Amino acid sequence: MFTRLRTKLTVLYAGLFGGALLALSAIVYSAISENAARVVRSELQANGAVFDRVWALRESQLQDSADLLARDFGFRDAAASGDETTIQSALDNLRSRLQISRAFLIGLDGEVIGLGGVPEGAMAALWGALDAGGRPSGVLSIAGKPHQGVSAPILAPDLIGWVVFATELDHAHMRSFAALAAIPLDADVLVRTRSGGWRSTNPGAGEPDARAVASFLDGWNGQADNTPRRMRTPDGDAIALVKPLRSMQGGDEALLLLRYSLTLALRPYAPLLASIAALGLLSVGVLAFATWILARSLTRPIAALDEAVRALQSGRRTEVAVQTGDEIGRLAHSFNVMSGTIAERERRITHMALHDPETGLPNRRAFEDAIAGTDQGARATHVAVLSVDRYVQIRGAIGYGLVTGLMRELAAKAIDLKPGLMLARVGPDMIAVLFEARSDFEALRFAGALRAGLEGRLRVEDATVDVGLTAGIAAVRAPGDGAALERAAIAVEQARAGRRSDGAFDAGAYGDPARNLSLMSEMIDGLHRGDLVLNHQPKFDLRRGAVSGVEALTRWAHPTRGRIAPDLFVTMAEETGHIRALTEWTLIQAIGEQRRLRRAGHDLLMSVNLSGRLIDDHAFADMAINLIEDTGARLCLEITETAAMADPDAAIESIARYAAAGVEIAIDDYGAGLSSLSYLKRIPAHELKIDKSFIQTLAKGQREALLVKSTIDLAHGLGLKVTAEGVEDDPALTMLAAMGCDVAQGYLIARPMAVDPLIAWLANPPVQAGDRPALPAGSSAAG
Amino acid sequence: MRLLLLLLASLALSAHAEAATLSVRVTDPAGAPVRDAVVTFHPAGGVKGPITFDWPYQVAQRDVRFEPYVLIAPVGAEVRFPNFDRVRHHVYSFSPGQRFELELYGRDETRSRRFEAAGVAAVGCNIHDRMQAYIVIVDTPFAAKTGANGEVTLPEAAGAGVLKVWHPAIRARGSAVTRPLTLSRAGAQREVMAVELRASSSAH
Repeated sequence: MFTRLRTKLTVLYAGLFGGALLALSAIVYSAISENAARVVRSELQANGAVFDRVWALRESQLQDSADLLARDFGFRDAAASGDETTIQSALDNLRSRLQISRAFLIGLDGEVIGLGGVPEGAMAALWGALDAGGRPSGVLSIAGKPHQGVSAPILAPDLIGWVVFATELDHAHMRSFAALAAIPLDADVLVRTRSGGWRSTNPGAGEPDARAVASFLDGWNGQADNTPRRMRTPDGDAIALVKPLRSMQGGDEALLLLRYSLTLALRPYAPLLASIAALGLLSVGVLAFATWILARSLTRPIAALDEAVRALQSGRRTEVAVQTGDEIGRLAHSFNVMSGTIAERERRITHMALHDPETGLPNRRAFEDAIAGTDQGARATHVAVLSVDRYVQIRGAIGYGLVTGLMRELAAKAIDLKPGLMLARVGPDMIAVLFEARSDFEALRFAGALRAGLEGRLRVEDATVDVGLTAGIAAVRAPGDGAALERAAIAVEQARAGRRSDGAFDAGAYGDPARNLSLMSEMIDGLHRGDLVLNHQPKFDLRRGAVSGVEALTRWAHPTRGRIAPDLFVTMAEETGHIRALTEWTLIQAIGEQRRLRRAGHDLLMSVNLSGRLIDDHAFADMAINLIEDTGARLCLEITETAAMADPDAAIESIARYAAAGVEIAIDDYGAGLSSLSYLKRIPAHELKIDKSFIQTLAKGQREALLVKSTIDLAHGLGLKVTAEGVEDDPALTMLAAMGCDVAQGYLIARPMAVDPLIAWLANPPVQAGDRPALPAGSSAAG
Repeated sequence: MRLLLLLLASLALSAHAEAATLSVRVTDPAGAPVRDAVVTFHPAGGVKGPITFDWPYQVAQRDVRFEPYVLIAPVGAEVRFPNFDRVRHHVYSFSPGQRFELELYGRDETRSRRFEAAGVAAVGCNIHDRMQAYIVIVDTPFAAKTGANGEVTLPEAAGAGVLKVWHPAIRARGSAVTRPLTLSRAGAQREVMAVELRASSSAH
């Protein structure tokens, strides 16, 4: 509701106090007004009683006068004798003497004497009342005006009529009555109108007042209960008392309405109420002001804290001035400490993020930031990476601690040589520098100079190290080209490979690793699409003089990149784990094609290369064995000797399972790696394939021939059949046959070919059974 | 017409020949007897000869009261007003035709007054308001006032005439009601007159 504490406090306190004051004022006002109303009520009641007394007194006076007249002998004489003139004069005389409004005589027969100007019949009701006896008195309406009337019978001595005296109850008369009251009452006599309503006799009463009176009398129950009631008038509330006045003629003709305005009653209290109101307003004002001041002094440090916290939130370091020793002061102090700690921690984190924790030098991240910060001008920015040669060996010699010190020393030396150089440790053995150069050549020169400056004998604590460095440079191709650092590091590798001390990045030599990675997914697609096919290279049995089997080789005709070298994608499949899918596909394909060959009348042993990565894969072995058993294929798995050595026990167990399943095992590329005789002994192989490097040099000398011959003998000794790979010319074939080699494979026999050409080729093989291995002239050139 | 004359003649004859006794009972509408009512019978043919009653024509003042309250006297009678009280009285009457005034007179003094015309004289004392009496001057011998039982007996009245009942409280002009009446030749005849009385008459 309130966004500011100050406003909240001010409104709350001022509101609370104001509310309390208001309630108090209301109570005081209510009490005063109740009291005033009570006073007025009791005053009205008292005055009602006084009025009764005054009325009675007045009536009694009138009555006495009337009685006196009625008994006057002379008057009786006149009345009895019907001497109207005398009667009239007597009545007039008495009226002026007693100061009464009306004095007249009503005869026994209803004749009225002494009431000039009033119609005869008007007094019929009165005559009725008089005739009924009982000396009626009360309100008498004469010519529409209320009068207080009394009557006295004239006995002469018999009743001959009545004397009636009446005093008009005009407003002046009522005022004189009201003057008797302790409070300035308003007394009014109301007479019944023809329509049944009531009409005031006060000539000064206005129409609104008449309506208020009428409304009040509507609510009056007609009872003379002497209970004052509240009355609403145009000038505010009043307390009013209604007294029905006894009529002289019977009926309810007149009322006395006593009232007193509450406004008037409250007037004496007005100064008191005004004082209370003024005091209240003043108090609320002062309180609001004081609260505001207090709240402001209270909330100012809080607001400052709030401001500071916001600033801190948005990353600005702020301090709050501590002014007090109270909770807020302590809070401000704590905030300042916290703010400082946060800033320090942030600084440390930033430093850590951008610096090498071991050497305190800027790190790769900082260097990349620096690259991002460069702008590409006429002089292209270059990155040079200086790598310590034989780092691992040096580290082994002097230990981690000192090698870190060595890097630090190198960095310091570089700064010495080129002050202001942007420099970072981007790898354990690598320091990168950022500089500008017009060309790669100039950059290379710069890097070479720097490298040469850093090389040499360096003392790290107690150790002395001869440091050799290799430098690689790369240009920053675009602002923020972070890969420049990587290229420079590769340039180092490339330089080392080229046995150079400095080198620029050679993109052509490097290839594109990202592209190679995508090759694998394309290979999987190609397997399904049929981009990969099997080519079969026939294996020629020298003893039988016939083709005894084929080796299935995977070939990939990429739709956009053309033929992909098997070495590339097979190696990559081995490294990325895709070799399993590839081999599985090859197996299935080979089995299917063996069946085609069989249908074509050629029962050939189908050799498939099994990658070293899959030899100890039992799940694959299960799958392959199931597949082979299900199809009844005759397969040979060619295993590279080196691969078999990786996990010998598992591999040998797996090979044994294949062998048990009727799969022949061939040891491939024998002699190329580090061939182990003990494993040769342990592997339950059927065939040994001598690596083509031995076969191709077979004819070169005695020594090579002897090596092949003894290998063949060794294999035979172990019960293995021997296949020579890479047989490319006739002399080699002749020699191999002479040495007792069992099978020959190579371009001399046939190139690898798809199954359909193979069937065609088999239909007319260049070598015939029983022939000495002699090949047709057309195929000898194939290599 | 001839028949009527004949009837009247016969009535007149019978009146002389024989007399009857008329008993009249005066009651208020509720049937209660009315005391001090003056009952008179006025024969149609008028009355001849002097009229006398067998009670004194006197209204005495005793114990500040008039006694009797109602006195019936014949026309021309001289009514005496003896004062037996120790106080003096001022007897008067304003009744039309019967006006008189007997100025203050004392104990054992007697004033008298002759009433020459028939009518009612309401008599009062100017000193003592509550003293009141009525002197009914009649021109017929058939007159009497009711007692406590409200009855009167008028002997020897006969023939056709008017029966009149007067009482100060009767609510009627002249405080009297009349009724034509034909009395039979012989025997007793009873009449009941119900009269309406004013609720509160003058003070007694």
